[in-house]
Amino acid sequence: MKDLLLLTAAAAALACAATAALHANPAIPGLLAALAFAAIGVWAGAAARELHAPSDLSEPRHALTSASSRSPSSSEPVTRGSAFGRAWVVALSAFGVAALVPLVSLGRRPLARTSAWTRGARLVTPEGVPLRPDDVAVGGVETVFPEHRIDAPESAVLLIRVEDGAVSSTPERRDWTPQGNVAYSKICTHAGCPVAIYRHADYTLYCPCHQSEFDVLFGARPISGPATRALPQLGLAVDRDGFLIARGDFDAPVGPDRWDRPA
Amino acid sequence: MIVRRIAGFFDERLGSQSILRTALNKIYPDHWSFYLGEFALYCFIVLVATGVWLTFVYDPSPGGAYASVVALGRTQPIGYLMRQVHHWSAVVFVAAILLHMGRIFFTAAYRKPREVNWIVGVLLLVLASATGFTGYSLPNDALSGTGLRIGISVAQSIPLIGAWASDLINGGSYPGPLLLSHLYTIHVYFLPVAIGVLIALHLGMLFLQKHTQFGGDGSKVVGRRFYPDYALRTLAAFGATVAVLLLLAATVEINPVESYGAYRDWIVPNPATPDWYAGWLDGALRLGPAVELRVFGHPIPAVFWPGAVLTLATLVLVLAWPWIDHAFRGGEELHDVLVPPSAAPWRVGVGAAFVTAGIVLTLAASDDQQALALHVPVTALVTLYQLAFPFASLGAGLLAAAFARQLRRRSDASGSRAERVVVITRNERGGFDEEAAEPA
Repeated sequence: MKDLLLLTAAAAALACAATAALHANPAIPGLLAALAFAAIGVWAGAAARELHAPSDLSEPRHALTSASSRSPSSSEPVTRGSAFGRAWVVALSAFGVAALVPLVSLGRRPLARTSAWTRGARLVTPEGVPLRPDDVAVGGVETVFPEHRIDAPESAVLLIRVEDGAVSSTPERRDWTPQGNVAYSKICTHAGCPVAIYRHADYTLYCPCHQSEFDVLFGARPISGPATRALPQLGLAVDRDGFLIARGDFDAPVGPDRWDRPA
Repeated sequence: MIVRRIAGFFDERLGSQSILRTALNKIYPDHWSFYLGEFALYCFIVLVATGVWLTFVYDPSPGGAYASVVALGRTQPIGYLMRQVHHWSAVVFVAAILLHMGRIFFTAAYRKPREVNWIVGVLLLVLASATGFTGYSLPNDALSGTGLRIGISVAQSIPLIGAWASDLINGGSYPGPLLLSHLYTIHVYFLPVAIGVLIALHLGMLFLQKHTQFGGDGSKVVGRRFYPDYALRTLAAFGATVAVLLLLAATVEINPVESYGAYRDWIVPNPATPDWYAGWLDGALRLGPAVELRVFGHPIPAVFWPGAVLTLATLVLVLAWPWIDHAFRGGEELHDVLVPPSAAPWRVGVGAAFVTAGIVLTLAASDDQQALALHVPVTALVTLYQLAFPFASLGAGLLAAAFARQLRRRSDASGSRAERVVVITRNERGGFDEEAAEPA
């Protein structure tokens, strides 16, 4: 009976190798390997039971402390500690401080946190199609990039079309939304997820990661959830050929805050 | 004959026979709950075995990572299965460690002289989670890439060192060109080697201090000899662990990166939830207050509190637990005999509160899906979980402590089951009279 289990394990293992070599559905070698290991396990369990070995064997426990050790050498007072005096601690500390230099030097990188948006860059879809103010219908939303910089990091923008004049903006942003086209960074200011969902019914942007909501009509300020900072806005204009362009980079740093970001 | 010759060769040079004899004859107590840690150990072995294989097909370059993982499903004969086993082993590894830790906690096995091994165990849990998270991030798919971005946001939120550490990992600002190759080195080298060393320490201390056991007076360890009795039992545990991992991998698909697509910082799968053991951190980020402080002109972002402070505070609390316990209980004696949970209701209460807090945070990590299913606003669920985090934990702790106290009272009143002897007599009305008798 027990030998049958081992034979099963052997057969399953060989069958596993064979089916894998024949490029079978990966589930088949997987299940055969599971069977092989299960058979080994059951065999071992059965063998352990068959031993009828005593379960009440005992071994004394000893306290491990050196105080109870009977070896004669350990009863001598230890004076070797004096070989390493205070000066040694000072020297070692100095080495520790010196070791910080290579560690710190590893991470010094210039903070390059501007997006790919520049003044006059056309807004294009991920497929590279430039957009006119009428291309997105009212209530619609489109992810856009600066022309020739598709997929550039920290540069994804949500272009949302609302009713013309619906956006309440500060005086300096008044001309940023031609014909109701308003653009915000798609990177959440909370933890950097894409703010992927737009609900036109209440003009909110919603982040699927931590449920922050932003008010599209009021500068994408956070209205619920853990985000504390508005999504940076991209000022828009229309160029001579009638395509939407950026007025420049975002009005605030993109993405989550960090210690070394200036206020 | 050959075995004997080889054994003799080493014995003449190293005295290995007597060491081996001691090790093979060593006595281990037996209880089902003592196998939980072994399940974790065997998960680690499977992780190393499948992980080494995966290093030969994975490409850590930013442009090639995702394609190299997706290619496993098509071009490698068993690549898909290897990746499934590896991922399943990772999530079961963390689960087994937590269950093992629960056994240690609720039976008070962490007390003197085993506080150091508790610390080693907690560090193993941290390293296992970190290895899980870095490995989960390596395919660079849309889901894990988003999780990685969140992790980096949390790292950046730490005052003074956070931004520096983030730039170090990235090889520049996020998303740095070296991010994946750094994660790869950390995942396949630093973390597994550290885990291996800590496992050696963990088992070495177990060997030296001998295993705890239920019952007895602690003067001796009572159980089974390692060889052949316990060796067969642990082989059975090994076979069972590997069989379950393979069964899961073959039948339940985990982390289908093919369907998520490659990571781009503007695409996220919805819903977006991490592997189960990171859920409590994601939930904490969802419940955290929307507060950004400024210190000397530097921002302290909202993610700092739930992401970094909560994690660190939890870690410190768990690491310090043996000493917190000692501060309340006192005593310098050695503890080799385990305490049944019901004997210490306050410990049951603390454990239940801790587990409940973890469950609340983990549930909060899928609040958007719950809101969708229940047709309630997600903000209502957020408020509910924000309240549940302290109050449900406290309530569950008190309830569990009261329940354990009840159990103890009942067992105190009746004595232990083995000692209780009653005489039952049939009375004239046809019923039974029960009379306690002295145990024989």
